[in-house]
Amino acid sequence: MTDINKNNIDNITENNKDEIKIEVKNLNFSYGDYHLLKDINLFFKKNSVCTILGPSGCGKSSFLRTLNRMNDYTEGSKLTGEVLLDGKNIYSKSVDVVELRRNVGMVFQSPNPFPKTIFENVAFGLKIHGIKNKQFIVERVEKCLKYAGLFDEVKDKLHKNAFSLSGGQQQRLCIARAIATNPSVLLMDEPTAYLDPAATATILDLIADFKKFYTIIIVSHNIQQAGRISDYSGFFLDGELIEFSKSGDFFTRPKDKRTENFITNRF
Amino acid sequence: MAETDNYKKTGDPNNYFPVNKSYIKRKKIYNRIAYGFAALAFILGAFPVFHIIYSAFIIGYKYLNWHFISTLPTGFPIGAKGGILNAIVGDLYLVVIASCLAVPLGIGSGLYLSLFGKQRANSIIRLLNELMIGIPSVVWGIMGFYIFSTNAGLGFHFGFSALAGGLTLGFIMTPIVTLLTEQAVHRIPASYIEGALALGATKWQATKSVIVKAAMGGIFTAILLGVLNIIGQTAPLLFTNYYNTGTPTGITGPGGAVGDIAMLIFIYIHEPSRILHYKAEAAVVVLLFFVFTLDIGMRLISWLTVKIFEMF
Repeated sequence: MTDINKNNIDNITENNKDEIKIEVKNLNFSYGDYHLLKDINLFFKKNSVCTILGPSGCGKSSFLRTLNRMNDYTEGSKLTGEVLLDGKNIYSKSVDVVELRRNVGMVFQSPNPFPKTIFENVAFGLKIHGIKNKQFIVERVEKCLKYAGLFDEVKDKLHKNAFSLSGGQQQRLCIARAIATNPSVLLMDEPTAYLDPAATATILDLIADFKKFYTIIIVSHNIQQAGRISDYSGFFLDGELIEFSKSGDFFTRPKDKRTENFITNRF
Repeated sequence: MAETDNYKKTGDPNNYFPVNKSYIKRKKIYNRIAYGFAALAFILGAFPVFHIIYSAFIIGYKYLNWHFISTLPTGFPIGAKGGILNAIVGDLYLVVIASCLAVPLGIGSGLYLSLFGKQRANSIIRLLNELMIGIPSVVWGIMGFYIFSTNAGLGFHFGFSALAGGLTLGFIMTPIVTLLTEQAVHRIPASYIEGALALGATKWQATKSVIVKAAMGGIFTAILLGVLNIIGQTAPLLFTNYYNTGTPTGITGPGGAVGDIAMLIFIYIHEPSRILHYKAEAAVVVLLFFVFTLDIGMRLISWLTVKIFEMF
């Protein structure tokens, strides 16, 4: 396992070190006595889509949450190792968590709009960072809803409750909300788990589009989806990173037997 | 049964489902029995409420008029003529004073418990709150007497007054508001607060602009149940406020005591006078009416607030 990773990292660093957006070094995460993540080493390239695959309970969601420090509030959790965002360790004391989370947006598994209007949902991220210019807020909300492909559907009911939207629309609203704070990284925790195929397709198209602006890391257990949209794929099993490589290689020539078993549905 | 027939016809053991006919009959009977018990329990539980309303109404109905709730008690023994305005005004004083103490304290500690506290500290605070709810109200009365009414405790010396009584009731109300607020916040999906935190909100920003708004209905219910609990308290007032047949001249010291419907019922029932007994039953009806109105009113306010908050 470690060999594969080292090879990959070396390859990239030789080409161009600036291309790395996030680098994870010797990351260990435990919750109580339960060692959830074991010695994770990997990198995410700028403006790429990476998918983390793995069976339920393998630690892939926890891994995603270490990237924007959402695990900070989990009592009894312990983390060692480094997560470098643009070369800076996000776990060092000088890092402002609020600014980090502005820069690293997150979309959750089930759509979780706030019980507010559609407009207020997107504007929330701006307001909590102290933006008061109404003109700016209106423009930014409109722009984000357009990016998320939602504006045409909701432009007449911006001031209606967000729960009046369908599940797929709610999830796109959550994406609009996440990009409103102008992040450079988007973390997505199984963003299509609760959506029907049509809504899923819309979101996957969005993700492919978003590559221009963001580094996107998706956690998923849907192998077909991962193959369709991602540039890199990683496989987690029991808290270990088994394999991380370009999606082409990952799906056609997996180097590890366990990865092969997983992608051929033998788990 | 059809399944068995299938088996006989096809001889396929997979097409066979062993049906226990007597068990099916029994399980239907058990279902009926359980239903019967539940219905009986409900009727027995609801009976006292209807009995109170019915008996209070048929005994006190002839005093139920505008005059009864708009005049002060007069005559001899006091209350034989006039109404119960003193007690209605007094309840207003007590509820307002108690709420001024219990609402900020209760909501604050409820939010602390559910959002900020550490697990171990939380379980201790929760235990203390449950203990506080279990303390007999007469004990609260004694505490209120020492702390607020006399100058023996912290030197407040409010005398028998609305302030001393109201603050004591506030202390009874606080743990109820605390625990119910915590439960209300607990019912809010964790994804709300996670969503806010993931955008870079601080915990306080997430609390005030997402959690409190989402839990508003539950927090109103918490306040409502707190008020309903103290509006019927008599024992704490015995030592801190007692009773006043007129309207108060202040909220502390002599003349600061107020009437109270529950106290009025207690006092009237003790008097050897049939008129006062009737009036006490009429006061029960008035009290129940206030409780009912308060309930509906608070629900309306909570519904409106939720609607209004959704706009922002």
